[in-house]
Amino acid sequence: MFAFSPPRPPLPADLLAKVRPVSLAGSRRLPLDEPWSGLVPGASLRRGSLVVVEAAPGLGGLSLALSLLTGASRAGHWAAVVGVDDPGVMAMAELGVDLRRVLFVPRPRGAWAESAADLLDGVDLLVVRPPGRAASSSARRLVDRVRESGVVLVVLAETRAAWPTPADLSFTITRARWEASSRLDARYLNVRVGGRGEASRVGEHVIVLPGQRGRAES
Amino acid sequence: MERLLAVWVESLAVESPDGSTWRDFAALFDALSVLSPFTEAVRLGLCVIPVRGPSRFFGGEGAVLAAVASTVRDVTGREAALGVADGLFLAELAAKSHRVVPVGQSEAFRRAQRLDVLGRADLAATCARLGIRSVGAFADLAPARVAERFSAPVVALHRVARGEVAELAGQRDARINEHLAAVRGTTRAGSEQGGFFGENAAGDERAAAAAHRVRRRLGAEGVVVAALRAGRVPEDRAVLVPWGAPAEAERDDAPWPGQLRAPSPATTLARPVPVELRDANGAPLRVASRGGLTGEPATLWFSHAIRRDVAWHAGPWTSLERWWTLARPRAHVQLVLTTGEAVLLVAHSHRWWLVGIYD
Repeated sequence: MFAFSPPRPPLPADLLAKVRPVSLAGSRRLPLDEPWSGLVPGASLRRGSLVVVEAAPGLGGLSLALSLLTGASRAGHWAAVVGVDDPGVMAMAELGVDLRRVLFVPRPRGAWAESAADLLDGVDLLVVRPPGRAASSSARRLVDRVRESGVVLVVLAETRAAWPTPADLSFTITRARWEASSRLDARYLNVRVGGRGEASRVGEHVIVLPGQRGRAES
Repeated sequence: MERLLAVWVESLAVESPDGSTWRDFAALFDALSVLSPFTEAVRLGLCVIPVRGPSRFFGGEGAVLAAVASTVRDVTGREAALGVADGLFLAELAAKSHRVVPVGQSEAFRRAQRLDVLGRADLAATCARLGIRSVGAFADLAPARVAERFSAPVVALHRVARGEVAELAGQRDARINEHLAAVRGTTRAGSEQGGFFGENAAGDERAAAAAHRVRRRLGAEGVVVAALRAGRVPEDRAVLVPWGAPAEAERDDAPWPGQLRAPSPATTLARPVPVELRDANGAPLRVASRGGLTGEPATLWFSHAIRRDVAWHAGPWTSLERWWTLARPRAHVQLVLTTGEAVLLVAHSHRWWLVGIYD
């Protein structure tokens, strides 16, 4: 602030009343980028919610999970990625993730759930890829802590090793098709978006992920 | 295994009833944390500092040892036993024998130890009857034989003896940070380290505290952060560095001539996997001297005779630049497999490596 800044005039009371609830509601949600903002209720992720991304190995699940980080990441939120052993940092940058605010725990060994819990106070989004099928007790414990903490937990699960607790929001990749010319250009993913409550209406969409510039596109 | 400087202050290893030992140890830990933010309290009397990082700032390990020794003297008025070796188990032994084990000689140092350093007198006695007196001789027993004859804790010790595990089960005090926090009357985890890029917003501090917790759970390499640097291909440009390592905040988004264009693979293998690319007749393919492939790729072979059929390929794109510090040409090829997965291969020194998966 400059030394000569005049004192700010107080906001009128009626304006204050309008402004505050909006900012509170906003802080309970984390922004999503296109194309997800057009496909998800509220165009954003609710804090304390569980998002499950399900795909067969190698068919775009990791790209999809990481693409959910971009809006919040650019807005200044921290994210962590647990259990992704060799994250493609270039791909993340191309997606639009701000790498300065991402912590990676590539090989948590047996302690993936504990490591994820360690991070809950420090980040706003947490991507976790459990090794194989998660035990329901540790899954439930983690989800309970996620609800308290206000973090958005994005679980990346393989189709054969489903996540054992119900998701608030789910993305299931049912088909992946590459478009290629003299090189790989773009991948078309069929994604079923569903969930509970506000997200219970299922929709199936085709999105481009990654596109020619590495981003997610509708 | 990480090269560690162990700081052992024997007179601070036993808890005193008035709590003064814990207070002195906390003061020592705080002072060492100023020297290196990666200092870890292991248990009362023992701290470790990864030396690869700080030695760069202080001018070599000798200078770090001197700085640490004088810090211990200034803060506690006592002499510390200092030692350097790979992994916590050996670092503590090195400190207790006042030794700096040269780089690359930690294995010999481990093998030469008397068996009782594993902390089990009964095991040492049993093995002595069999003529096994050193850690090395114990390590040479076949794991299956050890598993047959001994209980699970001894099997774990055997792994330590073989250098497969860096520390003994009971070497760390799991509650040491709670203890230290209690001594200080506060939890100060957040104040230990600023944000990765020197920013110090509240969010950065929270993240730093969380990273610290994971680091304590998994060890120094447990948490990494990403940096982008100049280069042509994904595996060069993406750098993951241990969290808290000196920030190399170099970002170069300028297009490089010959750079592989986006999209980049979502998985970039830190250790490329050797593979074989063959044509329909099973003949291994190579990059021809003029830059093309010697045939049409039909199958991709992983080790152990696991193979996938190739549906489409593009490339090779050749580039000549440093890779693994060797200046040799390498060529990239993109494949789409019939299972729908897309992968990035590189040909280098007449071999194929899997470097990326478009996951």
